[in-house]
Amino acid sequence: MGKIRVMKRQEPLGWRSCLVVLGAAGVSLVLSGILLGLQDRPPLTAMVILFQGAFGSAWAIEDCLIKAVPIYLCSLGVAVAFRLQIWNIGAEGQFALGAVGATAAALYFPDLSWFLLLPGMALAAFLAGGFWGLIPALLKIHMRANEIIVTLMMNYIAILFLDYLVYGVWKDPASFGFPMTPTFSESAIVGRIGDTNLNWGLALCAVCGLLVWVFFRYTLLGYELKASGENVRAARYARLPYERLVILVMVLSGALAGWAGFIEASATLNRLQPSIMVGYGYTAIVVAWLARLNPLYIGLASFLLAGLRVGVENLQLELQVPAAFGQIMEGLILLTVLAGGFFTEYRLRLRPRP
Amino acid sequence: MNLPAPPLVRLEEISKSFGRVRANSDITLDIRAGKIKALLGENGAGKSTLMSILAGRLQPDAGKILVEGEATRFPSAREAIQAGIGMVYQHFMLVDAMTVTENVFLGQEGGFWLRPRKMARRVSELARRYGLDIDPFARVSELSMGEKQRVEILKLLLRQSRVLIFDEPTAVLTLTETEQLFEAMKQMAGQGKAIVFISHKLPEVMSVADDIAILRNGAVVDTLEAGAVTSRADLARRMVGREVVLQVDKGTSEIGPHVLTVRGLETGALQGIDLEVRQGEILGVVGVAGNGQKPLVQTICGLTPPGRGEVEILNRPWKDFFARYPSDDTLSYIPEERISLATCPGLNLVDNFLLTTRSDFSRGPWLMGKRARGRARELIRDFNVQPSNVDALARHLSGGNLQKMVLGREFFRNPKLIVAEQPTQGLDIAATEEVWRHLLEARKRAGILLVTGDLAEALALSDRIAVMFGGRIMDVFPASDTRKVDRIGLMMAGITA
Repeated sequence: MGKIRVMKRQEPLGWRSCLVVLGAAGVSLVLSGILLGLQDRPPLTAMVILFQGAFGSAWAIEDCLIKAVPIYLCSLGVAVAFRLQIWNIGAEGQFALGAVGATAAALYFPDLSWFLLLPGMALAAFLAGGFWGLIPALLKIHMRANEIIVTLMMNYIAILFLDYLVYGVWKDPASFGFPMTPTFSESAIVGRIGDTNLNWGLALCAVCGLLVWVFFRYTLLGYELKASGENVRAARYARLPYERLVILVMVLSGALAGWAGFIEASATLNRLQPSIMVGYGYTAIVVAWLARLNPLYIGLASFLLAGLRVGVENLQLELQVPAAFGQIMEGLILLTVLAGGFFTEYRLRLRPRP
Repeated sequence: MNLPAPPLVRLEEISKSFGRVRANSDITLDIRAGKIKALLGENGAGKSTLMSILAGRLQPDAGKILVEGEATRFPSAREAIQAGIGMVYQHFMLVDAMTVTENVFLGQEGGFWLRPRKMARRVSELARRYGLDIDPFARVSELSMGEKQRVEILKLLLRQSRVLIFDEPTAVLTLTETEQLFEAMKQMAGQGKAIVFISHKLPEVMSVADDIAILRNGAVVDTLEAGAVTSRADLARRMVGREVVLQVDKGTSEIGPHVLTVRGLETGALQGIDLEVRQGEILGVVGVAGNGQKPLVQTICGLTPPGRGEVEILNRPWKDFFARYPSDDTLSYIPEERISLATCPGLNLVDNFLLTTRSDFSRGPWLMGKRARGRARELIRDFNVQPSNVDALARHLSGGNLQKMVLGREFFRNPKLIVAEQPTQGLDIAATEEVWRHLLEARKRAGILLVTGDLAEALALSDRIAVMFGGRIMDVFPASDTRKVDRIGLMMAGITA
């Protein structure tokens, strides 16, 4: 009779930890296959359809990249907060506020030229998203309110606020009653890169990712964030300005999600409408965990999870799988990756009974 | 010594190490039915480790546990409980939303159907029998700390425990509750239970124990019957010890200006403290743990504001000093909690070095990583830190090496006032000696407040000694005053005359 023992790892796992992530992703695919099988869908065929739909054509890959942009920006923001162990679950709401901010600028100054209007919209999105992040930070500092709950609840407020605007004051009179704003003026639309369908939001992602990387690696503030996130007590001991850091990360986090909303409204939809809310802010949390908060890996993971969304659309068409299946898979991936984290800290050993 | 009956439990030559720290070495201890055994010792003496081994939570590296003369192994707490050994922990493990009875029976319901009335009656009976006054239908969330503790005890009694271990049980209790607990302990012993009482509070040990075992640095240094204790001072001396393990040449150093002045400091636990430290001297603060050392250090080091009274650091009032806390020529704090307060265990040594020196390595918003790395590497060499690799994570360093790293980092800031709290606790002799040498070296440029529970350390290093008891400084005198040094034990026990 053998017995399995759990041992704490003495040495860090290093590069092999990516095997853990891959293994976890594999397990989640198998589980998804089982779920499909239970619904009388052929699991293997379904997986092929999923991957072909996501990465099988140039058009599909373009679509993945377009969807990856908002996911990336939200996830980058979430990762900045997570570094300080501030659990910002509110990217969804901050995204909504960012979209609202950008739309306000686009609607009230439609005649400005693009080189004034686009930066103006970016600024408005930054401020609005950042403001939505600032509130939970202040509540946490002054009233010890748990940021997880506050950010989560504020998502609903933000989405309802967005609905209020597009159903009411901002509704396009020519929309036959549909809840949507008028189409943005030409100068309020982020343009496409060359002949592709890709927009310049992709470049914004690259710049933001690089800045965040530089910030954490080469600046004093970045170091202070890293150290405080590692050990709050040591932060107090070393007189790190913990409260100020909480405010900083929440504003930055909100602002980055806000920019995602700006790009999505301006480049993808060209207007504001309720369908802008498709859960990128929640996907961003999965992405940040998958990528272990590293800006480069966040890029990779954003692309993959965007691919999942595109692939599931294909699956819906071909096999009549419900739309919620994509969310189920996303949830499974998060769960298996979190569970896999156990193996980066511990290892199992088979031991004969004494 | 002739033994009347074999002990209920005998720990034989138990040893346990954590990394390079020997928490227990060759400890032999008898626990007898019907007796209250006190384990007396300073924090870190190895009391809790020893009892965790007995309760099955830790495995010894060597040695045997004999229950009624038979060698036994406890792979987990469950086996220990089955053998009748239970522990009342400092942190209670109760379900707040459930009643006393439900908590007591949790896991012992015995069958699918619950019989609340019968269960409650059982709890009342037990409670009455051992003098543990409690309402079996009360919700745990509404109970006081003392009552919660009674629920924990009842849990063990219901499981027919024969050995009950109390880990610092009075820390959370009021005075009345403490007396009630002692009464219950005596009743339990009277009815044949063996009681182990872990404590560092002398009066409590003297009032309740039948036998006393004194632990120091992981070894039993003394066992005696309570009747053989002549006075509290005697007990204090035995607990803290006087033998000088290491001899260091203190040398002399020039006394400079005041770096710390405390006048009439009063907080919750401090009852009017007057102290001063001057550059070039080490002031050793000694006392039994829990007599106000911790609040004193936390106030001086800026973690808690002073209540009443004045604290002046480097000739600036407390508030003013910490409002614009300088990074160099400053106050350095070397805390007791090396791993959870002084360092970030998950970061490498460069990042840990930067923790308090970061402003020396920044230009505008930028951090000069390369320069910090170079300096950290030098420091690790100078202070003989192993492994000598700056990319090692702090959590992989032994206690001694981590402490040397912290010392190196703090001395790098060229401090003018150093507060060192239990700087060699848990370190081996070699590391202790190195830390002492560094402290004496630093004395040339700084004033040092050395807070320690180790009298040998205080005597080896200090120029002056202050004895703390009950939130007060009993006396301050030069370490060369042999007459007063002989009376330290008395003063630590609160006796002035």
